[in-house]
Amino acid sequence: MSEYSVVGRGVPRVDALEKVTGAAKYGADVHPPGMLYGKIVRSEYPHAKILRIDTHQAERLPGVRAIITQADVESGRKVFASDKVVYFGEPVAAVAATDSDIAEEAAAMINIEYERLPVVQDVMDAIKFTAPRLHSDEPKDDPIRRAVRNRLKHLSLDDSDDHSEEISQLEAKLNMLEQNVYYNISAETHTEVGDVEEGFAASDIIVEDTYSIPRVHQTYMEPHVSVASVDSAGKVTVWASTQGPFAIRSGIAGTLGIPLSQINVVPTVMGGGFGGRFGVTMTHIPAVLLSQQTGRPVRVQVNRKEEFLDGRPAPGCVITMKTGAAKSGEILACQALAFWDSGAVSGASIGSTIRVRGVYKIPHLKVDAYGVYTNKSGTTAYRAPGAPQAIFAAESQLDEIARRIGMDPIEFRLKNMREEGDLIPGGGKEPVVGYKETLKAVADAAGWWNREKSPNQGWGVAIGDWTNGCGPGGVYVSIHEDGSARIFHGSMDITGTDTAITQIVAEVLTLPYERVTITRGDTDSAPYATGSGGSVVTFTMGNTAKLAAEDTRRRILELAAERLGIEIEALELKDGKVFVNDSDLPKSISLGELAAYSLNTKGGPIVGKGSFAQQSSTPALAAQIAKVEVDLETGRVKVLKMISSQDVGFAINPMAVEGQIEGGTVQGYAWAIMEEMQYDRNGNVNPGFVDYRVPTSADLPTVESVIVEIPAPNGPFGAKGVGEPPITPTLATMSNAVVDAVGVRVNDLPIKPEKITAALRNNGR
Amino acid sequence: MKKHPVSLTINGDQYDLLIEPRKTLLAVLRDTIGLTGTKEGCSTGDCGACTVIVDGKSVTACLMLAVSASSKQTTTIEGLSSDGALHPLQHAFIEKGGYQCGFCTPGFIMASKAYLDENPNASETEIRHALGGNICRCTGYTKIIEAVMSAAEKMRAAR
Repeated sequence: MSEYSVVGRGVPRVDALEKVTGAAKYGADVHPPGMLYGKIVRSEYPHAKILRIDTHQAERLPGVRAIITQADVESGRKVFASDKVVYFGEPVAAVAATDSDIAEEAAAMINIEYERLPVVQDVMDAIKFTAPRLHSDEPKDDPIRRAVRNRLKHLSLDDSDDHSEEISQLEAKLNMLEQNVYYNISAETHTEVGDVEEGFAASDIIVEDTYSIPRVHQTYMEPHVSVASVDSAGKVTVWASTQGPFAIRSGIAGTLGIPLSQINVVPTVMGGGFGGRFGVTMTHIPAVLLSQQTGRPVRVQVNRKEEFLDGRPAPGCVITMKTGAAKSGEILACQALAFWDSGAVSGASIGSTIRVRGVYKIPHLKVDAYGVYTNKSGTTAYRAPGAPQAIFAAESQLDEIARRIGMDPIEFRLKNMREEGDLIPGGGKEPVVGYKETLKAVADAAGWWNREKSPNQGWGVAIGDWTNGCGPGGVYVSIHEDGSARIFHGSMDITGTDTAITQIVAEVLTLPYERVTITRGDTDSAPYATGSGGSVVTFTMGNTAKLAAEDTRRRILELAAERLGIEIEALELKDGKVFVNDSDLPKSISLGELAAYSLNTKGGPIVGKGSFAQQSSTPALAAQIAKVEVDLETGRVKVLKMISSQDVGFAINPMAVEGQIEGGTVQGYAWAIMEEMQYDRNGNVNPGFVDYRVPTSADLPTVESVIVEIPAPNGPFGAKGVGEPPITPTLATMSNAVVDAVGVRVNDLPIKPEKITAALRNNGR
Repeated sequence: MKKHPVSLTINGDQYDLLIEPRKTLLAVLRDTIGLTGTKEGCSTGDCGACTVIVDGKSVTACLMLAVSASSKQTTTIEGLSSDGALHPLQHAFIEKGGYQCGFCTPGFIMASKAYLDENPNASETEIRHALGGNICRCTGYTKIIEAVMSAAEKMRAAR
């Protein structure tokens, strides 16, 4: 029996009724009177100069109210392409009209003349000297040349000795390595711990391979949409389906030079985000500009095709990785060189390359990562941004090493795992962690230790970690005269977080779940809240709500003491009432009575406040086991069993937590097996659900989730972030299972049937 | 574009409208009538978010022209509960946690209703295939299938 009465239970969500009746209002359900329909005009080529934009014909179409291009952006900040386009689908202009079909017709009538430029889509081609340059001609050193340059820099700053001879040698070497450079680099990051060469020299087994992970789209089900309304005084209201309304506010202010106080972002219910709905995206700025021009509310809603062309998907990545181990099973060194396909805009998750270190003790580690420009749309976060890519490479390598040593892959991982107090390669020490417990839990649930399989069947295991983040947040809690409580805040519900916050407040105030309600404000009214993503919400807003509820409890007890004329220490809040302890006469007072009483007191109504910001983060692990069967004839991989365990610290709502584990695991499965945005010299070639397949209920069996609870010392009731971890291991889980089934390792994801049959033929099967 | 008179019956209510023949049933439901529970996820009939029931059959409303729904009975998510009582499917989606962001939920519930009306004794495999035209990105389908199975059982018991 749990010590708690509301947290730890799978209660129905606070938004249950509106979600199953169609009453929930999403972005495109906002329809202010007089609203116009916006449509974005997009580039037809992935790389081209814009010679001329002719809007005359479109302007004459009845119903058209405004056509805008970059020339109409007074702030001068880039909203539309004006002199050249760098990807297929890049915005060039926008139209507002009285009807959605008219807006579409007008958009098609805008005539843009282009001069095509050479295109580069492959990340490994883009870094070459021969590649067309997207933004700059400046080359960047490769890791070898970089090491020489760093040594040179070090020596030239060191005047304790005469280094002139070495300096001149190094200068000569730098010149010799003139071609050791990359082009189209958008960003780079490098980490070095110990000396990998030393580690590899001591290794008995070294595995080296190159892994290619495709660019995939978050495919949240609600396409991007926003409605903007600018009044005659210039006050901007934007209804937005977003993970972070406060970031939209600052994004609009920064781009259009409008004071923050003149912008109100009203968040709508959000139809999925997974990282793709952070900050100002495709629709917000055009909607505001069109409303400013027309003086009417304007809705800009993109369709699914536009999502694929101009969304901000997860970056693809090519990682070359080398891992060395002793034959007794200790990992000794690990080196990775990664090229992340940023598309035409900087911003790929290159910092996540460090996640190749996993949760293992690795004495020698070297990571070099580059972001590379190509003629594709930019990228952004997708559930545990960058982690699935890096972890796929690392967990594939470990599987291969265990295989060659002849050690059970789970034993091998357990042997190398970090524990509390162990150094994390590249920074810090491990706090209380549940890595081993989580891996053992999935092994037990799957029956790993006495697993069986028929021919062409295989078992795969992999793990993945994520450190939940933390951001700022504020929450108010009020008690009403009927004894109910209301929470007021500004953070977006991300699949159940409002419910978790409500459960936390109900628990602290000892109220039944049904007596606590929750309201989200807009950016004009609500206290600041961090964006909802990165597994931060339950941790951040849960802690904030707990502080607010505790503040409320303090005020309740203070009022009760005043009312009853008793010391606070003699009072206890229980079952939604304040009781007097150690009294001869059992005495209690209800919250409703206290709330009514408070209205005529000096201190005033019962309002509790919680405010919270940066705190140390808590790492969490997901561990997965898949059993698959491969059809030798067709190469099709069928999942027979999928078990996913995760250390969630404490499950505030186990039903919602299971939902996160199941959903994340299936997204990872899809990345491994079926999803891939494909490009040729004309741009993205599969911008729709027919050619870009995402899994349906017919593709998979039930995912079994296993909840592990190793409490986080600073999490609300011990809770850790749960959203990101479950997607991180699945790419490797699937690949490792295929190897176990048919002895074929496909390092170039997705593991499509034709790749398996080709590899089987090569193996003579 | 010339508008045509159309008579639609939506959730039992009759709407006599003048609409352009190019307008889809989805556009008319959402923009003209204001029933926004039916969602637009792909506009090409591939995601199932706009599933409604027309004369007993499940239909993706983004692919049906409104003029084609003239003189037919259309049921949307807003018309599913009767006399304020939730349909067993709606109950089951709440109880089993069969939704997360909820954007695909109206489509899943309507597609499930059309299918269970036709095949009340459906097995899990049959349900998984029958709902293969509906995409959910949040749940991984496990809890959706549990919800539909549980509702089917309750609907059978109520017969």
